[in-house]
Parts: sequence; structure tokens; C-alpha cells
Amino acid sequence: MNKIMYLEFERCIGCRACLAACRECGDHEGTERNYVDYVDFMESRQTFPMMCMHCKDPACARVCPANAIQITEEGVVLSASEEKCIGCRNCTFGCPFGIPKFDFDQNKMYKCDMCYDRSKHDIAPMCASVCPSDAIRFIDYDEMQTLRRRRTQLNLVEGRKPSEQDKWQYVPEFFGVYTD
Amino acid sequence: MSDYVVKEGTKNLQRAGEKLITTHCSYCGMQCGMHIRVSEKTGKIKGVEPRYDWPVTLGKLCPKGVTAYQQIDHPDRIKRPLIKKNGAFVESSWEEALHVIKDNVTRLQQESGPDAMSVFGGVSMTNEKCYLVGKYARAVLGTRFIDYNGRFCMSSAAGGFLKTFGMDRGSTLPWTELEHSDCFLMAGSNTAECHPTSIQMFWKARDRGASMIVIDPRETPTARIADVHLDLLPGTDSALANGLLHLIIKEGYVDEAYVEERCANFEELKAQTALFTPAYTSKITGVSEEKIIRAAHLYGRAQKSVVMFARGAEQQSKGVDNVTLYSALALLRGQIGKFASGVATFTGQGNGQGGREHGQKSDLLPGYRKITDPEAVKHISGVWGIEPEAMPKPGVSAFEMFDEIQNGAIRGMHVICSNPAVSAPNVEYVWDSLKKLDFLVVNDFFLSETAEFADVVLPAVSWAEDEGTTTNLEGRVIRIRKAVEPLHESKPDWQILKEIAQVLGKGYLFPYEKAEDIFNEFRLATKGGKADYYGITYERIDRENGVFWPCPSLDHPGTPTVFKGRFETPDGKAVLPSVPWQEPGEVPSEEFPLRLTTGRVVYHYLSGNQTRRIDFLRDQCPYPYVEMHPALASRYGIQDKEMAEITTPRSSMTVEVKLTKATREDILFIPYHWGKELSVNKLTNACLDPTSRMPEFKVCAAKIRRITKKEGVSHE
Repeated sequence: MNKIMYLEFERCIGCRACLAACRECGDHEGTERNYVDYVDFMESRQTFPMMCMHCKDPACARVCPANAIQITEEGVVLSASEEKCIGCRNCTFGCPFGIPKFDFDQNKMYKCDMCYDRSKHDIAPMCASVCPSDAIRFIDYDEMQTLRRRRTQLNLVEGRKPSEQDKWQYVPEFFGVYTD
Repeated sequence: MSDYVVKEGTKNLQRAGEKLITTHCSYCGMQCGMHIRVSEKTGKIKGVEPRYDWPVTLGKLCPKGVTAYQQIDHPDRIKRPLIKKNGAFVESSWEEALHVIKDNVTRLQQESGPDAMSVFGGVSMTNEKCYLVGKYARAVLGTRFIDYNGRFCMSSAAGGFLKTFGMDRGSTLPWTELEHSDCFLMAGSNTAECHPTSIQMFWKARDRGASMIVIDPRETPTARIADVHLDLLPGTDSALANGLLHLIIKEGYVDEAYVEERCANFEELKAQTALFTPAYTSKITGVSEEKIIRAAHLYGRAQKSVVMFARGAEQQSKGVDNVTLYSALALLRGQIGKFASGVATFTGQGNGQGGREHGQKSDLLPGYRKITDPEAVKHISGVWGIEPEAMPKPGVSAFEMFDEIQNGAIRGMHVICSNPAVSAPNVEYVWDSLKKLDFLVVNDFFLSETAEFADVVLPAVSWAEDEGTTTNLEGRVIRIRKAVEPLHESKPDWQILKEIAQVLGKGYLFPYEKAEDIFNEFRLATKGGKADYYGITYERIDRENGVFWPCPSLDHPGTPTVFKGRFETPDGKAVLPSVPWQEPGEVPSEEFPLRLTTGRVVYHYLSGNQTRRIDFLRDQCPYPYVEMHPALASRYGIQDKEMAEITTPRSSMTVEVKLTKATREDILFIPYHWGKELSVNKLTNACLDPTSRMPEFKVCAAKIRRITKKEGVSHE
């Protein structure tokens, strides 16, 4: 897999197409594994998508007593294998982001697998495929680095220039452009 | 013939035992590209696969689009014709249903003349069907009463464009150019919820530093990302647009050479807008002077800008005026007919653009020809094979048809692809009218609220069970493909109309074997008209990623950008408006002190007859609600999630309260996708625009009252 998932929270428009699309993945049995939440609806309509970050040393897999959560060679953290999962729900408590879900009927955990049947062929996962606002993207590492640089660059465009009061919201301190 | 169209190098996931059928979404005017997954063995629909190489949407879909395929093999589908016997629907045969239709139509027309029958069309169907609905009404039934649900959707945009430019194409530029624009001024469009797949273009442009000005009473997900959000009071668009025009002129942002060469009426506009100083504009609209000035500078300085609007500005009794004024902003800046700049309306229905060009409107014939023009009548009569004298005269607009029922002129109605029992304003009046009809036929694939009033319901097919074309919001004509054969005993609308024509003895007018036969006839019908489709063929659409009308000949490349050299008015000049301020049809009073506005949510499409049946979409938004500012709620002692009763001079309804500070402090908002007691259109005002006959859905006067627990109203 030569691509990575790239999320830009502020772009999220809260349409939840990613949730609907997640259900469409062949291996997902019509259940969604990602989340979209309001930051605080009373204050603003800002929403944000949340999905598995496929940690390098994932807490969910580490706390699994049955060793049911496998990690592929590309680093994708899969759902608990049906044969091995004992339904203890350790993974749902262990994950610091609250990602794994639990199916009480079937007594097993399920989570984002980055649509492994797609992503292993470098085809975008369903959520990143459909996201209408590009809040979720499946892109090359180099493209991601360019995008990160652009974000900072953008803040220099006239009209969005940071003022003395809020400049640190725009530019990381080490960037040094606005120091006196 | 391959039904899977894909560009070289594009990877789709192709599962074993499945084929992909390339088509577009069934819902809004974006017409997002998609492939439908079909099992090769059983022929059943399996799901959806993104169409990454469709240039307009690049595989993106909203939640409606992702789940659209779930309509097709849905348990609620109407399987066989239904005939109402003793007040209840009974499944029957096609033969019997057609017989009942023949008897009743013949009886009513013998008793009260051909105009006793009427046709209420819709534009969430292909060009082929829309064209045929017009021909069916005029050539088969011979009635002058035909109109369509676009009156509640696009008619103000159409009216405004015709008045200003002399031609009505929803967008003067292709959507793929939007990413190169420098500024977007968007009025009354919650793009992020209503046309979500457009947002990617705005982000791309913003990544280059483009700015965005959003005009909306609520801080919608679209307004949230704007550089300036002009949070105007509903119904004050014309004042705000006049105020912006005033500043564009005053600050010297007018492209003098362009206006001199290509626009008429500039002095009148200048005189009229002189009054609209920021202070005066601010007083009417409730937007701070500072924001109006900032917006004018942002817009005025942009090299390439696009003015966009949607139902928020159009569904008002001054909808046409609003459209002409916003369009004037683009004209003064010399933006129309150039790269990455222009004017666009967000077409609501899937084929809102195509459907209004082909003769479903009470005064139009195919190709955007006027029915009052004898030459047009002669041309169309020739294509249809009828005598020009047999062509009926213009009828009345959609909502006025219900008046005609009330006063007895219309006794029978055939509703095709529409649900006015939810989507019309003041629906209690509409319900009463539908009850008064002697005979009502409805074509639909789910039993809509309108169909419940019917005497005969004919099972139509979903969009994926027929071939055809639609015209998306850019004016691009595209292909819809058949993924499965018609389910149960349902039939495509064109075939239903053909069979009715046959039993009425006019079968010779409908000699079609397949949808493409209709397309070829209608190419001829549009030939030489303003919306000229003559040069477009099914094969060209596949090869060229769709073709933009006007396209008058087979070797014509189509017209992605219109009005490059001249406008379509008689003298080739765009007509600038001069519009004085005028209040909406209903303003707050002592009894009704608040303004109520209505709109949409991302999970539902129009009257909700399709989307309310899809599990995912219904779960996300099962009921309507009233959205208001906590400061307003506090005045009435209302808390979040409590129930409240909203009353307007017409009726009242009870809904749950949703509080957010992301809205004005003096308005109520209710989404409209539900029927019966959950329909906010019970409350809306049927005050019509004088030109477009568009009802004023977007503003009426209302009051609110907290419902105490004791009264015990709840949706649960």
C-alpha cells in the first residue's frame, strides 16, 4: 500500500456520507465503523470525522487476551478474527480514541479495516472515496507533505493574514515568519 | 454494448461474479457519477461503486447518493396497479387499470371538454419522459392544463435568467472550472447539505486563496466556512443585493467597458441602487454595515468570480427579482461568458434543467419554445404529427391548478413523478383540492402522500430500471443506464403513457419501442429552439463525458460556457434590473411576531417519499424539528429537545426544538421533507411570484408556543 489516509477536520460538512459508504464495503456486513460528531451543536455546526488511526503499536491489539486482532504487513489493524474473538470487549476499553465497536448479538468486536479489500490494491477506502468535501482523503505520502506545506503557505494569502493577537493559531512557533 | 464506462488507468474494485453499470445518482441536479453493482448470476442489485473518473464529481457522493440503490429493490415498492375500491386500494391488472383510466378520462372530457383533465408532471425523471409528458398532455389528452413541480423549484431562476439573459441555462459555466475561480458569492444555498459534492470545488479554489461570501439567515455548514457570512433576515435578498450593487458602483468596481458593450439599463440600475446605502441596507436586512462593506470589497476585487444562488433566494414572491439582482452583480463585474466566472443556480431536482426545457411547463413547448409563438406551434405539431390548430393554449402554473380544481375547471388529474401533497405550499388547501377531484391517477414507485388520494396508482420504475438522459445543473446532457429489468409489474413512465395513449385511441402518436426512440424524436423537436439538443446522441454522451446544450448539429462541440459573445435577448445585451424594495408577502405582526423559513437537510430529498424509506437516512433524521436560537427560545421558556407548537395564519404543527447559536435570533427554521401532520408546508404561504408563479416557501409570519409535558405530544 503506497497511500495514506489524510484527514482535515475543518473541511467536514457533517453529511455522514462516510458512514453510509462504510456500510457499503464488502467486508463490513452493512455496519459502519467510523464516526462523525458535532464539536458542540449549540455553538456551531462544525463536525468532524473520526476513524481508526491504525496505530503502530495498537492498544486494542495489545490488550486482546485472545490475540484476535491482526495487523497486516501494510500496518492495517483488522477487526478481531471471528474464530478467535472471545467477546471480552477489552479492545473497546483499551483504545484511547474509542474506535472499536461491539456487536452484542454476535458477541464480537468490529472496527475500521481501511476497506482492506480496496486499499490493498491502492483503491481508496469507501469513506475517502465518497467524502464530498475532501475532509477524508487517500493520497500519496508526497502529496500529503505538499498539502501540509500549503496549509501554512495559505495563511500568508492576503485576507487571511493572522493578526498580532492570533498569529500562533496560524503559524507554528518555529516557523519564525512573524517574529519581531 | 458495454454498460461499464471507465477511463484508462482508473481503478475500481471489481468483485467476482458482479458487473458494474455506469450511471448517475437519482437525486439532485449534481447528478453525481456512480457505478451500480449488479450480480451477474441473479441480476440483483448489490450496491454502489464510486465513479472516480466522472469529471464533475470525481467519485464523491453524499449519503443520499451512497444509499440511492436501496430504493430499487425496496419492500415498499408498488408491485401492481392499485385501484381504489370502497376507499381502499386493491391490487389489479394493468388491463383493468387502463380500462378504468379510459372510462373516466373519456367521461370527464365528454362532460366538461378536454381541459377537464390535467397533468401534473415532475422533473426527477429523464428528458425522454419529461418530453413525453408534455406530448401526452397536449396531443393525447388535448388539455391546456399541464404544469410541473419545477414551479416549486427552478421557476424563479428560469424567470430571472430569461429576463436578464434571454436564455435559461442554470449555469453559464461548467462546474469543472469552479476550482479556478477567485471568489464565490452564494445566496440562499446551503450547498454543503443540498449539493454536497460541489463543496470539493470550493475547497480547491480556497486552497488557492479564493474567498467565499455566503448569504443565508442561518450559519449553515456552508456559511460556516465563508469569509463573510451575511446573515440576512429571510425575504430581504433584494435589498441586500441592491446594497451590494450600490457599493460595487460607488467603489469603482464596475467593468465599464463590459457594461457599456454588453448590458442595457445601467443608468436605471444606478439610480435605483443609489438609495441602498450600507446604513439603509443594514436597516432592512439586519446585516451589519461592516459585513456588507467587507463583502462588497471582497467580491469587487476578485478577478474571476461566480455568483451562485438557490431556493433560499428563489422561493420568494420576489424570486425573479432576486435572481436578476444577483445576476447583475456578475454583469457589473463583467464576469459572464468568461473562464471560471459567471452565474449559476443550484438545480434542485435531478433533471430540473432538462425537464423544464421540454414542454412540461404550462406555456412552453420542447426546446424552450413559447406555446404562444405560432412558428413554434407549427414546428412541434409537425414533429408530433398533429394539426397546429389542435395544439392547446397556455394553461396555468402548478399551484394555480389547485385553484382550477376548486372552481371546477379541472375535474381529473394525472400526477407523474411528483408529490404535491407534501411539496406544495399551504398543503391543507392542496389536500382539499385533491379530494375534490373526480378522478386522480398517480404514477409512482412508492405510495406517496399524493398517491394516497388517487383513484388509480400505476407502478412506475425507479431510475435504475430504464435508459435515458438527464441534463445536470451545468447544462450537461448525460446518460442514465438500466441496471435491472423493471421489477414486479412496474413499467417505465414512457411506456405507461404509451399504453394510455393506445387505449385512448392515440397510440399512433407514440410509436416508441425504447427510450432512445423518444430521444431521437425529441432531438428533432428541440432543433432550432433555444435549448437545442439536435447534435447530442447517446453515443456522443459516452464518448465526450456528456454534451452541453445548445448543440445544434452533430459536429457541434456543445457549449460549456454560454454568452461568450452575446446574450440571447433580441439586441444581444443583458438587461440590468432596477428593482425597488418590497416586503415579502407576509410580514410579522403582533399576533405572529416571528419569521418562519423552511429548507432541507442533507439526508432527505424533496418530499422525502424516497429517502424516508431508506434506513440509514431515516435513522439520521427521522422527524422534522424547529431550529432556533437559544436567546429566542429563552423568551418563550423553551428548552432544547422540548416540543413546541408553531402556528401561522394557515395552520399549526408540533415539532421538537433544536437549539443552536448558529442562526439568527429572530427566525424559526423547519425542514420540509415530511407529509401529513409532519408537513411544514401546512404553514407556508402560497403567495406567488408575479412572473415565475413560485410560491413563497422561504418566509412567512409565525408564532411559537411551548408544549407542556401534560399536553403529551411526542413523536415517540
